[in-house]
Amino acid sequence: MLHSETPLGEGIFSRFPMNHLFLFSTAIVCLFLISPPILRADTPPKKISLSDFPAAAVEEVVVPVPSEIFAVLDKLGNPNWKGQLRDGKVRTPEDRARTALLLGNVIAEGFVAVEAEDAERVKELGRQVLTLAEAINVRKSVIARSKSITDKADQRDWRGVRAEFDGALQDVRGAMQELNDQDLSQLVSLGGWLRGTEVLTSIVSGGFSKDGIELLHQPELVNYFDRCIGSMGGRLRKNPLVASIRDVLRKIGPIVNEGGDKITPEQVKSIHDLTHGVNQQIVEGTTGN
Amino acid sequence: MKFFLFSGFGTRTQRFIVVTVLLAACSPCLVRATVDDALSFAYEAALPYYKQGYSIRKDAWGGDLGVRDKKAVSSQLFKGNNYWFLMASDVKGATLSVHIYDDNGNLVDAESWQKGRFAGARVSPKATGTFFAIVQILKSPEDRTPWALVYGYK
Repeated sequence: MLHSETPLGEGIFSRFPMNHLFLFSTAIVCLFLISPPILRADTPPKKISLSDFPAAAVEEVVVPVPSEIFAVLDKLGNPNWKGQLRDGKVRTPEDRARTALLLGNVIAEGFVAVEAEDAERVKELGRQVLTLAEAINVRKSVIARSKSITDKADQRDWRGVRAEFDGALQDVRGAMQELNDQDLSQLVSLGGWLRGTEVLTSIVSGGFSKDGIELLHQPELVNYFDRCIGSMGGRLRKNPLVASIRDVLRKIGPIVNEGGDKITPEQVKSIHDLTHGVNQQIVEGTTGN
Repeated sequence: MKFFLFSGFGTRTQRFIVVTVLLAACSPCLVRATVDDALSFAYEAALPYYKQGYSIRKDAWGGDLGVRDKKAVSSQLFKGNNYWFLMASDVKGATLSVHIYDDNGNLVDAESWQKGRFAGARVSPKATGTFFAIVQILKSPEDRTPWALVYGYK
């Protein structure tokens, strides 16, 4: 057996005549030279200076969909989601800005109902999405979603329902952008973010976990919403509810600007109270300052 | 028949103006079309990750860049999730790259790949916060190369 072992320095090549070996080696070298994109990855710098990017070379942040946050919450534990559910049916407002905010709010509520695995509430919220979408002329974009929400809630396909609520949010925003209603589209996102943040802070205040608190570290997002309101048309910007939300964002901004591990329980409660107050205004149509 | 298009126009200057105006009118549509094409390729690149359970966002970024030009795309990412950023172009022969940096400018790619007009980078954020996907056209036969970027999470 020992005699049959391949001597060091010899292998499969030892059976090749020398000219074949030469051709084979040349072919390998040529292949490497002519196909660098396939064989070599680019080597990015380990550190860059973000200040080297002028404002025009920086794309705005995209608002995360609620399920990005809920996906993390799923991994952190199992809080009392039923306790977070809001009661009652919302009434469609006259004010388009409030309708857009409420639509986002209701979609976010849909995620809470999914977490609570409350099929009836999920279906009710799916219908509310349709009614509110109708009030701002984007009903068509969510008819199929609303039906799917009902069907999947009946099947208790919670992952599927979540995907439908995510899709509804994106479809509504897409339809609004097609109608050149960029501002209202942003208000839908903002309404969803406000309700999501209210629920998140409530869970975190209930002693959920330090990792949960870290989810509140969203400085660029809060600044982005503030900038969005700042760039809205005068009438919308001066809408009492929108102005009230901007005040809230400016109070939340410095808190979430801290690193996630530096946010204190008092600050979490403060964010909760602020978002709870403004969400009540969105639902009830009162602007109490 | 050969000169049908321009038979109504007298001078060469007039023809030149008409062609220029027509091209100018059409060019935004053309750019839009190619960015849309780039987006289709980006979704194609995302497909294997969708099959692995990643939810792919419908929102996307895109535009056109010159060779070696870079753009920073800001994103709010959450610790606990995994993200794949997928970039693509519809320009044959173009080479792109995408890499993820945190808000201090540190490279945080967990892995990345680059294959011609497709590129991808994965990140598992160690902290929740703002991150930047730096996109770049490394090589291209065109002066301006349309690109699109999508991301997925799980």
